[in-house]
Amino acid sequence: MRQAKALILTGFGLNCDNETALAFELAGAQSHRVHINAVIAGKVRLTDFHILAFGGGFSWGDDHGAGVIQAVKLKNHIGEDLLSFVAEGKLIIGICNGFQALVNLGLLPGLDKDYTRRSVAITYNDCGSFRDQWVHLTADPKSPCVFTSGMQKADFPIRHGEGKFIADPDVLSALQAGRQVVFQYADENAHPAEGVFPLNPNGSVQDIAGICDPTGKVFGLMPHPEAYNHVTNHPDWTRHKVMQKRLGKPFDTRDTPGLQLFCNGVDYIRERFL
Amino acid sequence: MMYTIETALKQELRDAEASALVKKAGTYFCIPVESARSVHLVTIEADLTNDDLVRLQKEIFTNPVTQISSLAPLDIAFDWCIWIGFRPGVKDNPGDTALEAAADLLGRPFRPDEGIYTSRRYCLKGADLSRQDVEKIAQELLSNPIIQRYKIFSRDQWDPGKGADVKPARVILDHTPCFDFIDIDSDQTLSQISDQRNLALNARDIPIIRNYFLDPDILAQRRKMGLSKPTDVELEYISQARSDHCNHNTFNGIFRYTDVLSGEKTIENSLFKTYIQQPTLALKEKKDWVVSVLWDNAGVGEFDEQNNYVVTGETHNSPSNMEAYGGAITGIVGVYRDPMGTGLGSRLFMGSFGFCVGDITYDGPLKPPLHPRRLLDGVVEGVKDGGNKSGVPTTFGQTLFDPGYMGKSLVFVTALGIMPKQVAGRPSHEKKTSPGDLIIMSGGRVGKDGIHGVTASSESYSENTPAGHVQIGDPYTQKKMHDFLLVCRDEGLIQFITDNGGGGLSSSIGESAMISNGCLVHLDRVPLKYEGLDMWEIWVSESQERMTIAVRPSDLDRFMALSDEHGVESTVIGEYTDSGKLHITYKEKTCAYVDMDLLDKGFPAWEFDAVWLPPETRGLFEPVIRAPKDFNALMTAMLARPNICSKEWIIRQYDHEVQGGSVIKPLVGVNRNIPSDASVTRPVLTSEKGLAFSQTLLPWYAKIDAYHMMTCTIDEAVRRLIAVGGSFSHIGGVDNFCWPNIAYDARTNPDGTFKAAQLVRACRALKDACVAYEIPLLSGKDSMYVDGHLEGAFGERVKVSALETVQFSATSVIGDVVRCQTLDPKAAGDYIYVAGITGNELGASEYYDMFGKTGRNVPQVNFAAGKILYKAVEKAIHLEIPASCHGVARGGMGVHLALMAMAGGLGMEIDLSQVPSDGQDLPDEVLLFSESAGRFILTLAPEQAPVFEKLCRGLAVRRVGTVTTENDSLKIKGIQGDTIVDLCGQTLADAFNKPFGDML
Repeated sequence: MRQAKALILTGFGLNCDNETALAFELAGAQSHRVHINAVIAGKVRLTDFHILAFGGGFSWGDDHGAGVIQAVKLKNHIGEDLLSFVAEGKLIIGICNGFQALVNLGLLPGLDKDYTRRSVAITYNDCGSFRDQWVHLTADPKSPCVFTSGMQKADFPIRHGEGKFIADPDVLSALQAGRQVVFQYADENAHPAEGVFPLNPNGSVQDIAGICDPTGKVFGLMPHPEAYNHVTNHPDWTRHKVMQKRLGKPFDTRDTPGLQLFCNGVDYIRERFL
Repeated sequence: MMYTIETALKQELRDAEASALVKKAGTYFCIPVESARSVHLVTIEADLTNDDLVRLQKEIFTNPVTQISSLAPLDIAFDWCIWIGFRPGVKDNPGDTALEAAADLLGRPFRPDEGIYTSRRYCLKGADLSRQDVEKIAQELLSNPIIQRYKIFSRDQWDPGKGADVKPARVILDHTPCFDFIDIDSDQTLSQISDQRNLALNARDIPIIRNYFLDPDILAQRRKMGLSKPTDVELEYISQARSDHCNHNTFNGIFRYTDVLSGEKTIENSLFKTYIQQPTLALKEKKDWVVSVLWDNAGVGEFDEQNNYVVTGETHNSPSNMEAYGGAITGIVGVYRDPMGTGLGSRLFMGSFGFCVGDITYDGPLKPPLHPRRLLDGVVEGVKDGGNKSGVPTTFGQTLFDPGYMGKSLVFVTALGIMPKQVAGRPSHEKKTSPGDLIIMSGGRVGKDGIHGVTASSESYSENTPAGHVQIGDPYTQKKMHDFLLVCRDEGLIQFITDNGGGGLSSSIGESAMISNGCLVHLDRVPLKYEGLDMWEIWVSESQERMTIAVRPSDLDRFMALSDEHGVESTVIGEYTDSGKLHITYKEKTCAYVDMDLLDKGFPAWEFDAVWLPPETRGLFEPVIRAPKDFNALMTAMLARPNICSKEWIIRQYDHEVQGGSVIKPLVGVNRNIPSDASVTRPVLTSEKGLAFSQTLLPWYAKIDAYHMMTCTIDEAVRRLIAVGGSFSHIGGVDNFCWPNIAYDARTNPDGTFKAAQLVRACRALKDACVAYEIPLLSGKDSMYVDGHLEGAFGERVKVSALETVQFSATSVIGDVVRCQTLDPKAAGDYIYVAGITGNELGASEYYDMFGKTGRNVPQVNFAAGKILYKAVEKAIHLEIPASCHGVARGGMGVHLALMAMAGGLGMEIDLSQVPSDGQDLPDEVLLFSESAGRFILTLAPEQAPVFEKLCRGLAVRRVGTVTTENDSLKIKGIQGDTIVDLCGQTLADAFNKPFGDML
């Protein structure tokens, strides 16, 4: 069977490429870590891939706004290629710095099929500084997002200084109407955090942690699913394990919502493209 | 032409940066700022069309959703405006990325005389603000004169057209590069010149240096090169190579040790050889996991069949005391180059920090360069940016407070890397330079950075003189280089690699050329940040983010192609030879020509007198403190002490799980706010193996005896590893010494001989502990002058010395991470055990410190008992018997029982009469707060009790109580059987979290 091919961008201060590549591999895809300059120079062509991943990190040090310079450079050099990648119905995922790049490129939220307009922003956390913290997320089961199909909730870590999602009221209602709000920060019972810190760690409006485009094929989120690639990544894992053992239940190391999210993307490609 | 683009967040958006400023002004100085807004300025000095300019403004410098911007000063109301900008030559990272982005967007390179510079201004509102208030905010919150400039505008001083009137911070050195010949007609002449030029040549080295350059044969050889007297380049090279930093003269020095009580007299010929090198080499023979030690930038140990790990630790104290942010970020980014330059290069997978600062609430008369509170803010921020932007998780860290650190604070940074055992068919831990290999410098460019360290900081400034002696690390440039070098390594393009740190090219090339036995360097080919550097400055500059690499000519094209693809600057600056000479030229003219073996020409060892005064001869006695009556208040008071309470506000700012391998995090427990014993990370994501890492600092015990400070520090580091599932059979160590000056001087350092004796004793303890626990020292460093002379109320300068401090880091490899354990009790009904003996050892404890006492009963380590117990606990965890395990550390059992109760979100019932003790019937406060080494607290299911007790038969392990439900409290029964402590979880949490709670 042919394999789904995922391209993970690297270089210029990006730094989650190894674990993102691993997550796609574990999900059954063939991962390629490719330097941004190799794509720009045409040494590697987007058309040879099914999934494009904008990973986490500090592209250009996040000076002048997180993900901004990355977006300007890509738009400037391969803007058209990105638009046709979207037009072909292939998948794009942006995680943390990648999400910031997607909104600055305009690939998200992609309202009215306009994939060039910057209509939402991800800005400085209300708490005023970088935070590493695991969050509870609630997923919209009716969202068209390919990556979260079948998911109700998930725990992932956030690790950012600029994760506060903001947009004008009309844009927000358009996102709601299109079921484009994929993930919201929540409490342990999967009820939205309603802005309460630290459940909502950055002050995002409507607790928004991740959104997709109207087709559900372009997805961006601040939390890091690739950082939940092994059961021991979860902060409560030793407690879970003791309880499982005492109930005589098994403790599977690779059964995580993080990997589930990547599997959903790879399965979609398998159905539609292979 | 010159343009300034001003950008600010839209009025309706929260300006987190400005809010933080308002908060600090209020809490630190009670200055009533009502509101503030920050404005970011980008000053462009270049020939641009208006279209170009607008394009930059719109596409790079303005977010249409969040920001407003203007090519004229933004009209933002204020009562006072503060403008802050860098001095020329200070690393302006956002300026550099702006330049890179602008050149790419406009498709045009910027000329050397063009540039982009960033600065900020803050618009403050506050009816009651005085100019003095605003000056204080500018000087003590926003800027540091050694790297920054500021201007203050009142509302009526502000010209809406000119705004802050920013001038580009371009460096202009009106100077033609040259080199000098130095007079050596007499020792006096040379030593005078050494003082004038900050060469810091050791007086006893001077005759050897003169003999060499006056030798007729040498002179004859030099004449052929057009040289006679030594050049400044040559003397700078010798000065760097002979410096304590590069040559470790203290640890290789001769110590005449006398014990005034026993009369023992010993001559120590080299603390390094006797107490570090010899035992480590002996252990290397015994332990086949030890791969490479004591020669490279970091030590190398085996991780699994395919991979080795790399570890080293550094300090960056003096620079951090001058400029906390710059010093700390330069420190962490700098130590991250060591694993990159170990063997053929490793991939960084974790780092850690240790901060030792003065009392952050200090309001006495002494004036340190930076107040401890501001210093801590700065170093926390520096390690945050340096670590996070390097994409390396900061998985562990500690912060200590002691008045001694106001003289000089300590910033420890540790780095670990991982590399395949074989790269391109060669062992990755071996490397060499060969004649014909090209010398390549990759990464940053060279400026006047770090030349002669902070001695330059006293120089006066003009508008365009570089202030580069205090540096600001650039993790972005280094991360690009890190990714690039790993590709080169895997393609087999690297023959040798090392980093440029202390001593710059002088030490990186000087040392690597020893292997090929010669080099020819063309200094005029070294890329510079700005023109006008003299040859010796290029040679010794400590400009950051640079590696020196040996590459075969046949590999050059591929190396350069990859360098270009990764946006990294690499330059061939010479070649390695076997000429036996260090040969340096500038535009084909020789400016240095000395023998590679010059440094072996009998330079004398340093000498120290060390006089040990045992505690009983120093008037140290146990304090007389009768039994406390209110143990509840005592427990909460202990939990709230700065050295015990929660530092979550620091840990949370550090990405501790990037790279996806986090197993045991720095903070654990139901509320994820209790510091874990150690961190565990999976550096190889496809493997179930993990690397456990712990770090310990117990400098207080040195008040009594640095020998026991060292043994207790190592014992705790090992205990921490065992507690999470580490293996006693694989423990690697890293020793970082920070010592006050040990050179006796009747006037300036009257207790120098005592501090020297403390150092000897610490080194003896280091060997005793490492031999007992079989810990090879994979790496280690020393920083020998942690003293400060602080100005007091009357203009007097008081010498403040830090405690004799050693940070000990320990590593262990875990076969299956799923067997790891954390310190939080998991279930009500579980039994609680204490393992290890509690003795009457409150000397220099947190408990005594609370009463301002020191005492004499310093904890002493029983290695024989420790070894057996640690192996038993290791076995228990491997068999997955305990549901939690925690090493008892600073503050004693009372504090650590409370931490466990909080971590589990459960109650505990403890009976102190059951605690294993050393026979004498110890009172409750001793059982609760003694800091005896070698102890654990464990919890486990009742049905596991028989097998656990069987496993521990004959050991000092006893059941002391039971875990109770979340609604129950921490109940401790005293030896009389009465309940002396009864505290609910909320009360414990309040005490523990409150002190720094508002900083989260």
